[in-house]
Amino acid sequence: MALLLRFLRAFALLLLVSAVVAEHTSNWAVLVSTSRFWFNYRHLANVLSLYRTVKRLGIPDSQIILMLPDDMACNPRNAFPGTVYSNADRAVDLYGDNIEVDYRGYEVTVENFIRLLTDRLDEDVPRSKRLGSDSGSNVLVYMTGHGGDQFLKFQDAEEIGAWDLADAFGQMWEKKRYHELLFMIDTCQANTMYTHFYSPNIVATGSSEIDQSSYSHHADNDVGVAVIDRWTYYVLEFLETQVTSVTSKLNLGDLFDSYDESKIHSQPGVRWDLFPGGEQEGRLRTVVDFFGNVQNVEVENANATEPGSLKEDLVEIARLVEKWQKRDKEYSAILGNSAGNATEDPHSSSLHLKLKSTVGTTKMAEDSGWGKRLVGISVVGACTAIWVAGSIFGRSSV
Amino acid sequence: MATKIGDQESPQASASHQPSVKRAPPPETPAAIQTRFRVIAAFWAVIIFLGFPIWWKTTSIYRASLPIEEMVDWADGKACRPVFPLEIHLATPSMQSLEAQHLLRTTQHALDDLNEFAAHHLRLKLSNGSTTATHNGEDSPESFKYLAEETADTALTVRLLPQEGLVGPRSELQTATTQLDIFYPPNQVPVPSSSNSPLSAFITAELQRLYSEEKATIAYILSGNTAGLDSTSPQLAEEIDRRLRRSIKYAETYHLSFSLFTPGSEPSSWDIEAAVNEYVSPLLQALSPISNFTIDTQVQLYANFAPTAPKPEYDESEAVWTLKKEGLSAFVNAAEWPLNPSIGSGPTINFILYIPDPSQSPLFVKENRASSWMVPQWGGVFILNPPLSHTDKQGGPSNPTHLSQDSLGPAFMTFSHQLLTLLGTPSTPTSLPLRLQTSIRIRAASLLLSASSTMGSLARLTKSLPSIPIPATVATSVSTTLSHLSSSCAHLREGRFSAALASARVAETEAERSFFEKSMVGQVYFPDEHKVAVYLPLLGPIGVPLVVGLLKELKRIAGRRKAKGAP
Amino acid sequence: MAVDRRKIAVFGAAFVLRLLLTCLFPSLPDLLTGRVEVSTPVNSFKRLQEGLFLYTRNVSPYDGGVFHQAPLLLPLFALLPNAKSWPLPTAIFYFLVDLLNAYALLTISASGQSVKSRLHSAVRKHVRWDGVSVAAWFLFNPLTIATCLARSTSVFTTSGILFAVSNAVSGNTINAMLALGFASYLSLYPVLLFIPLVLLCYDRRSEGSSPPNVGSFIVQHAALLLASVAGLLGLSCLITGDFWEFISATYGFHLLVPDLTPNVGLWWYFFIEMFDSFREFFLGVFWLHLASYMGGLTARFRRQPLFVVTALLGVFAIFKPYPSISDASLFFALLPLYRHLFPLMRYTFFAGSAILYSSLLGPAFYHLWIYAGSGNANFFYAITLVWSLGLSILLADTVFAALRDEWEQECPGMVGAEVRQV
Repeated sequence: MALLLRFLRAFALLLLVSAVVAEHTSNWAVLVSTSRFWFNYRHLANVLSLYRTVKRLGIPDSQIILMLPDDMACNPRNAFPGTVYSNADRAVDLYGDNIEVDYRGYEVTVENFIRLLTDRLDEDVPRSKRLGSDSGSNVLVYMTGHGGDQFLKFQDAEEIGAWDLADAFGQMWEKKRYHELLFMIDTCQANTMYTHFYSPNIVATGSSEIDQSSYSHHADNDVGVAVIDRWTYYVLEFLETQVTSVTSKLNLGDLFDSYDESKIHSQPGVRWDLFPGGEQEGRLRTVVDFFGNVQNVEVENANATEPGSLKEDLVEIARLVEKWQKRDKEYSAILGNSAGNATEDPHSSSLHLKLKSTVGTTKMAEDSGWGKRLVGISVVGACTAIWVAGSIFGRSSV
Repeated sequence: MATKIGDQESPQASASHQPSVKRAPPPETPAAIQTRFRVIAAFWAVIIFLGFPIWWKTTSIYRASLPIEEMVDWADGKACRPVFPLEIHLATPSMQSLEAQHLLRTTQHALDDLNEFAAHHLRLKLSNGSTTATHNGEDSPESFKYLAEETADTALTVRLLPQEGLVGPRSELQTATTQLDIFYPPNQVPVPSSSNSPLSAFITAELQRLYSEEKATIAYILSGNTAGLDSTSPQLAEEIDRRLRRSIKYAETYHLSFSLFTPGSEPSSWDIEAAVNEYVSPLLQALSPISNFTIDTQVQLYANFAPTAPKPEYDESEAVWTLKKEGLSAFVNAAEWPLNPSIGSGPTINFILYIPDPSQSPLFVKENRASSWMVPQWGGVFILNPPLSHTDKQGGPSNPTHLSQDSLGPAFMTFSHQLLTLLGTPSTPTSLPLRLQTSIRIRAASLLLSASSTMGSLARLTKSLPSIPIPATVATSVSTTLSHLSSSCAHLREGRFSAALASARVAETEAERSFFEKSMVGQVYFPDEHKVAVYLPLLGPIGVPLVVGLLKELKRIAGRRKAKGAP
Repeated sequence: MAVDRRKIAVFGAAFVLRLLLTCLFPSLPDLLTGRVEVSTPVNSFKRLQEGLFLYTRNVSPYDGGVFHQAPLLLPLFALLPNAKSWPLPTAIFYFLVDLLNAYALLTISASGQSVKSRLHSAVRKHVRWDGVSVAAWFLFNPLTIATCLARSTSVFTTSGILFAVSNAVSGNTINAMLALGFASYLSLYPVLLFIPLVLLCYDRRSEGSSPPNVGSFIVQHAALLLASVAGLLGLSCLITGDFWEFISATYGFHLLVPDLTPNVGLWWYFFIEMFDSFREFFLGVFWLHLASYMGGLTARFRRQPLFVVTALLGVFAIFKPYPSISDASLFFALLPLYRHLFPLMRYTFFAGSAILYSSLLGPAFYHLWIYAGSGNANFFYAITLVWSLGLSILLADTVFAALRDEWEQECPGMVGAEVRQV
């Protein structure tokens, strides 16, 4: 009986653990357009539409990496300056007044993209340009541009191969930079881009099979170019009309089932095999697992906010710290070393911390001029003297 | 470009052969032949003695050799089995030494029998009763001197004090120190002959209780789950898991950002420096063995909610404004409030002090009337409802213009508490010094593990991507990491946890640096046919006349040899 | 010695012309200073002023990452009044340097080394310009005038090279090496001229009584060159304080070409487009390509070391990392010394029109690219290709003419015979 009980408990625990493992703690989105120039307006519109969606579903700008290689809103050919639309009805200005582009223009390169994914960036690259995901993060990667069999062009100048992308994701997995990853790509022959992936926990979907083109959806005659691609249009249609809030229970299965080849004009693909549990398990992931942000706010329960216990704790810490500093001073006096922060009182050390980030300035004052002139005269004098000496000796030796 | 150089090259090359190809050319003089030989030799000398070494040097990928085996061993846990021998001093000021010895032995036996997680065990040690008693009475605990000494850190001092009039033993944890007082009836002193005694059983149970959460946490970290421990209750397991998930990823430096947000123009100033010094600094000092902290503060006026965020509702019954719990996630207007300063390398922990508009004051969370909440991995929010003043001539009440240190007290204490939680400090036992000590051990374990696994990742990466360069700095970082890992492991074995944490911190930093080395971005996929396309357009046109010249010259020399040999 | 009136007229006119241009168009010097064709990162007067500003305020001139020129220019320019408030003294200083350069050319021409040296004597000796014409050709070359007005520091390198040559042809070998050391110190690449120059010195010395030993002569002069460069580096070290800082900011900059600002050369576009992993390799290739001409040309034209110097200057004007029109103007300055080769040249029309075409269209395409935004980088790069093509045709044609001249000298019977290019 006891054994059975124990077994049951262990089983319950196991269930609990597996339920726990499926959860993620943060959401990140990497949204990349890879083509510049006016006639590729639709690629920027694709990305900006996705950007609006994930922002609507709660991912903050600090967790969205937006890469735009061109600025359509300010393009001289744009008949509606300062705006980008993804629909001919021009109901929603995607550019709006609150958009944070992290990589723009010529910063959008294959190298920067790979560096972003693998976080091999300079120390001074700001956090807004970094993918700060960890082992608890669900990451959405959306790419659009012009591609071909197992490559995607960046900026007309270079291309990323399916191998590079697979290796980048491999390194991300190796360093636990994602929990689960949803890869979406809208380009010609898009499905070839995820064929080389090998790291687990990735669901990949693309707009078209090998040897198929992905088509634009419609053009806006006043803008003058196509404004959105078909596959992205229907994905967005699903997201905008069905996934109306963060609490939506629709899952990836529903999203992928909504693909209609007669509308998209190409065969979208989905790759499940890297996901643990395969398609069955993967289909159950909700759409907001990737497009929304985790929303667990912990309201302090009554006993934790009760100032009594905490206050006592703090008083104790303060007392402790005092004693500890006294002790440290004794130690450093004995050892005769200046032990840095430890010997400082908390007041000055916190001030010290605050000031640390400021760069020291030096006052520049012009020299009175005579010193430098003297140096100049002596340099010119020395050179002339050597030259004259050279002329005399050189001539005499001939 | 390529044709350009070809143009430049070919007339010259042909010019130097020019005399020999003229119609009815006059015979070449030996001097001309020699000159031509010299010209060709001069070009080829440059190519062979400078060109090829440069080609070799600049196109080979530098891969520093890494101790792959060792790195994989660390990742697989073969190099080190982290153990946590906690040294617990038993102070028995009023016991015979023989009795005390016996008590120690039996208690240790009982502890060892009950322990199911071998890596974490308690080692009892008899301390010099008289000195410890006076020593511990008023002075700070031994364990907080974090200078690495050759002795193990004392995790806890158990003081056994006889007390008249007790039925059974009773314990009292001193919350300010790492000291556990156990009062026992004098008649329960175990006699050396008996194998177990109620006192030793009581001590055992007390110690087990004290360290159960720590043990479970370390087991969870080391093995990934708590399934190995039977004694851990599911609630505890869940609690541990929840805590580990909401705590922020470890960083060498955290930025603490304290922000005052208010939708109106008041209050516009606060005694932030005094408040930080008073309420936050002591905690940061206590946490300094674990991480460094920097602080910045800001005051933001006219900070509005996001348009989509749910508005506060008025609760007639209690005359307060309320926010629904599920709407709290949209409380922070991430789009417009200037949070997340992107300066520096460490993660930012945000603490927001929100003063509601006088027209919406007081403001509480609807469900439990709380005024603060925590956002996992991000920070905390505190709604402060200051007393409104009605001095305003226009009628409506207004917020005070200045927040004094005292009025900030509750908020900053809550922030301190939230900081502890966000850093993953365990919630038991009740003594804060013990919790911080536990925190040190947990951090040491997790850093050891994470640095080891980074080593494994780097080793696997090195093997799987042969085109990636590995600069020498990575090799240095790796060796630093490995040496600090082993010293950390050794410190753990000896029970010097602060020193172990210090080593583990260095190991973690170096491991991260080696993995994220900037120059280790692999060559973008580059098949050999692409290399031809890189080399040929430029080197082809240069090379052709040079090679042809060389061949002609060789033919001439060979022909002359033959001519010489023939007659 | 009677003062040559023509000489005075040419020098005076050149001076007055420059003065007039400066005074009548006060914005012209600054306009030219900003042109990429004239100012490169290693000779720009703007950058020099930045360095000077930092230097006079006791900050390391290399701190801003803008200034990449030799440190000894700083105390020199510290002597002159601030060019922003009193532009004239600096301008006049540059005019005088130009005149000095012309004077060196005069000396070179007067020595007659270009037509008749120890081992060689040209067939058409009589077809030549006198020194004043050569100097005038240099002084009134628009490229020279533009360089001078733009106050590019290349003029000092030009001086160094021209004085090295003029001292070499007039037999003062010590000063030749000192001047070459100065030029190499300023711009690094003139050090490649050492071998032909030392041979020139040797030929001059051997015309005297007892020819010295070749090996020891070369070693002696190499030591002299090294000593002069070392002396200048030592002085610079005294001035800047940090040896490695200025070495990496100046010579490191020349060698590694980190600044890819457009210029009239071939490097910038190539290295913008090059895959990063091959960058170092092609840096090596480009430098070796530049250096490899030295050996080949010296071996081929052993009898005319001055011609090797001229041809190498042409090569530098095309293939060096940061070329500007001042390098071309130096090449053009030495060309008239070989007036006797002009009849043997065959593509002067093509070369001339290519150079003219590119010097007119270059600024236009640059404007289209940078300011109007209606063109792109390819426009300007294409025109720099044409410019380099023109220069290379000219250079190749000159080399061909010199070979033909040598050949005709060897086989006097073939003078004027038709040549077939294969």
